[in-house]
Amino acid sequence: MTTTEVAPAPAGRGAEQPAPRRHASPWKRRAPLLPALIFTIAVTQIPFLVTVFYSFQSWNLVRPGSQYFVGFQNYIDVFADSTFRTAMLNTVVLTVVCVFVSMVLGLGLALLLDRKFTGRSVVRTLIITPFLILPAAGALLWKTAMFDPVHGLLNFVFGTDIDWLSAYPLGSVMTQVIWQWTPFMTLLILAGLQAQSKEVLEAAQVDGAGRWRTFASITLPQLSRYLQLAALLGAIYIVNSFDAIYLMTQGGPGTASTNLPFYIYQRAFEGFDVGQSSAMGVIVVILTLIVATFTLRLMFRTFDVSGGVK
Amino acid sequence: MAEVVYAGASRIYSGSTPVKAVDQLDLSIADGEFLVLVGPSGSGKSTALRMVAGLEDVDEGEIRIGDRAVTDLPPKDRDIAMVFQSYALYPHMSVAENMGFALKLRGMSKEKVRAKVDEAAAMLDLTKYLDRKPKALSGGQRQRVAMGRAIVREPSVFLMDEPLSNLDAKLRVETRANIAALQRRLSTTTIYVTHDQVEAMTMGDRVAVLKDGLLQQCASPRELYDRPANTFVAGFIGSPAMNLAKLPLSEAGVTLGGFTVPLDRDVLARAGELSEVVVGVRPESLRLVGDGEDGFDLVVELVEELGADAYVHGNAGEGQRIVVRVDGRTPPRLGEKVRVGLRELGELHVFDPQSTKSIAQSSQPQ
Repeated sequence: MTTTEVAPAPAGRGAEQPAPRRHASPWKRRAPLLPALIFTIAVTQIPFLVTVFYSFQSWNLVRPGSQYFVGFQNYIDVFADSTFRTAMLNTVVLTVVCVFVSMVLGLGLALLLDRKFTGRSVVRTLIITPFLILPAAGALLWKTAMFDPVHGLLNFVFGTDIDWLSAYPLGSVMTQVIWQWTPFMTLLILAGLQAQSKEVLEAAQVDGAGRWRTFASITLPQLSRYLQLAALLGAIYIVNSFDAIYLMTQGGPGTASTNLPFYIYQRAFEGFDVGQSSAMGVIVVILTLIVATFTLRLMFRTFDVSGGVK
Repeated sequence: MAEVVYAGASRIYSGSTPVKAVDQLDLSIADGEFLVLVGPSGSGKSTALRMVAGLEDVDEGEIRIGDRAVTDLPPKDRDIAMVFQSYALYPHMSVAENMGFALKLRGMSKEKVRAKVDEAAAMLDLTKYLDRKPKALSGGQRQRVAMGRAIVREPSVFLMDEPLSNLDAKLRVETRANIAALQRRLSTTTIYVTHDQVEAMTMGDRVAVLKDGLLQQCASPRELYDRPANTFVAGFIGSPAMNLAKLPLSEAGVTLGGFTVPLDRDVLARAGELSEVVVGVRPESLRLVGDGEDGFDLVVELVEELGADAYVHGNAGEGQRIVVRVDGRTPPRLGEKVRVGLRELGELHVFDPQSTKSIAQSSQPQ
């Protein structure tokens, strides 16, 4: 028995304890990770720091010799700029509406696809197609084939005579973005639906739940984590929408469909104002971080609730 | 409380060659009876159960619960409760919500639901866990929640689809006894599906043996064991399985390895022109005998020691494999040649080799 062996040994002898692990140089163990780490820092953190540095400079490329330190002046100018505020509002509207509508459509399509019918795989492929098309190609397609006032399909179908892109610029852009992102939502939600246990649904039927009740009480709560994931991923991508706006409306008419990425692009590459566009970039990063942190925290809380005690 | 009747009920899976998962099942389960459906996988036992639940269509015939024909009713209108193999608990609801879900759907008041759930929880020893989510429960507790969910509804029929197969062996034996006791106490008609013949034998008032969608025999466990209707039932019920051998038949009886067992005159008469019959003898009906006695020789190939008993697997010549139950303390050794005789001359089962049906036992048990 172990007790009889241990008892005679003098207590507190270091030799009894397992030898403390030799402190092999930690850098030797981390070395294989370093190339990736250095690369990541080089391509993400250094440009960010340079941007922060630029944001404290007054620097316009078309005025030679204009580069000097101005402190927070750029930030003050940006917040005083009404176009920046319009662009911010547009970004919020674009993101919230597009994520919400494409999720609702995606849920509906996923429910339709989550059943057996002939030609199901063909239909599924067709529904996914918009997501596979290059965003720029999709934007051009909508601009020329759908929204064009003279030979666009929309006017042909509705028998109207509207120049959609100038009458409803933000709405048109949102339509294209929703068209592009609905398949993504459909796929995610379909995965969630198919991950459901069939027996649980049958149990609900036996317990007396009709189709609608089963959906509301059983399916939807189980889908919640998939819906959250879809909302987060969708929001991250849609906040950064650029192609559709650049190709369809150029942010116009006026600034009616300008969002933040497009406005920053305009100020940097059309206005050549390095200082102010850097300041805007930094502001956007900070705002995104705040929103993302809150969203993630909310998500993890919900995950814990639905996951129960581990 | 109600009786359940299958009247020529079939379930046909369409396809290039339609498969009859359940073929013209005629079976009636009396009010308050515990019926076990047993069979190997693919025998249609689960399908038959799900037909009562309304989760499978009935393609031919009819199913009645009480005096109502329920063939075309949706599951929610059939007044049944089902316990699933995976338990199928609602993962986002607490134990209490899981158990009260059906009552809530019926529009019962909150206090009444709570009272019913508390009552059932006390019966199943779940009171401590009412606020937990299924994820935080052990397998046995989840199984009890699934039972509780069925009990609170006070349905006219319980349907159980292999409810014990996800439990470990010890818990299974314990829960087996609890379910049987609970059913006696509630005396609710119960249909129980299992592939485990020990569960079938120990729990059921009657056991229905299915194979390939066809009902082979439906009788009390004792009757199934003592008088199997055909070779399939004979081989399926009992562990280890009954020894079945095709042996030549003569006026004197059947012969194996020079050992001739006389058969009853009635059996010989019924066997008629047959030159061969299938003879079945259970491992416990055989015993080891001394050299001089009547019997046949067996070369030992495997000994399974179970403590009280040991099972000797051996070869009786001509590739005939035989299992014998012997005393656990003095089992023969591997490769040894032993002599095996019958414990009682009467404990033979005789079957027709063509139809596999029983020609009756050589002697009728008292």
